[in-house]
Amino acid sequence: MGREVAETCMEGMILEMVSAYSTRFYATKPDLAARRIEAIGYQVGLQLSERYTTERPRFGDHLEAIKFICKDFWSELFNKQIDNLRTNHRGTFVLQDNRFRWLTRIPINSLPNKMDASQHDPSAPTPDNKAAQDTSMHLYFPCGIIRGALSSLGIPCAVSADISNLPACSFVVRIKA
Amino acid sequence: MASTACFIIVSRNDIPIYEAEVGSAPKEEAAHQHQFILHAALDIVQDLAWTTSAMFLKAVERFNDLVVSVYVTAGHTRLMLLHDSRNEDGIKSFFQEVHELYIKILLNPLYLSGSRITSSHFDTKVRALARKYL
Repeated sequence: MGREVAETCMEGMILEMVSAYSTRFYATKPDLAARRIEAIGYQVGLQLSERYTTERPRFGDHLEAIKFICKDFWSELFNKQIDNLRTNHRGTFVLQDNRFRWLTRIPINSLPNKMDASQHDPSAPTPDNKAAQDTSMHLYFPCGIIRGALSSLGIPCAVSADISNLPACSFVVRIKA
Repeated sequence: MASTACFIIVSRNDIPIYEAEVGSAPKEEAAHQHQFILHAALDIVQDLAWTTSAMFLKAVERFNDLVVSVYVTAGHTRLMLLHDSRNEDGIKSFFQEVHELYIKILLNPLYLSGSRITSSHFDTKVRALARKYL
């Protein structure tokens, strides 16, 4: 169980998926496209986390599970770990990746800050800049992956992404009490 | 060498998603009792699972001369085996191999997580593993 595929194939497929959902399937409904992409990410996250936790002992608490996401899970997906993890010790974690691999092809220009992909609030504030909205579409998939992985480890949460300074990307995880 | 063994997989929502009698002994009338014992052991497993971070919890309960062994995955899916043999290493290897098979089932995009496993291929493989390790 572990055949290898070139990374460019993966990136190409993800780019095409995001483009297909936002321009062909749900061209007039970006919120619906975002939810579908996030749902795909959710299922992928479920499966991946089951796969990557076989060899290791189980987790005692939330912090260990988040650290697993930051280290082992992220290095399996992107060959690097999360660069910075912050928490407010009340159920919110910020995972910062200083050079998010799937966004490296996006040009850096001034983009509005927050993009919300939480599952309870699909009517996120839409940036007026079209390029910014397209960029934020690409972030729903990794948010879904993180949410799926944590859900399969027993931690229901909401994940949103923040791209105020590309290529760094922050994922905000809010654990539901 | 006849051995009785009953194997079930219980999902994180406490729903059995797979059941099989994998012992080499002929099927007796008490087969339904095996399932009952396994389901009754779920409470004990629940308590025990939080005390340790290991996956393989050895013998969690005894009934007559039958022993219940449990293997818990990170997603809190429990693989439970009721058996009479004492071969712990064999049972651990059995659980690990079934875990790999279970992950392959999970990777199927058409498989709804938490639903019953109906694949006959999975069934055949589990029985073959049971013959090999138990």
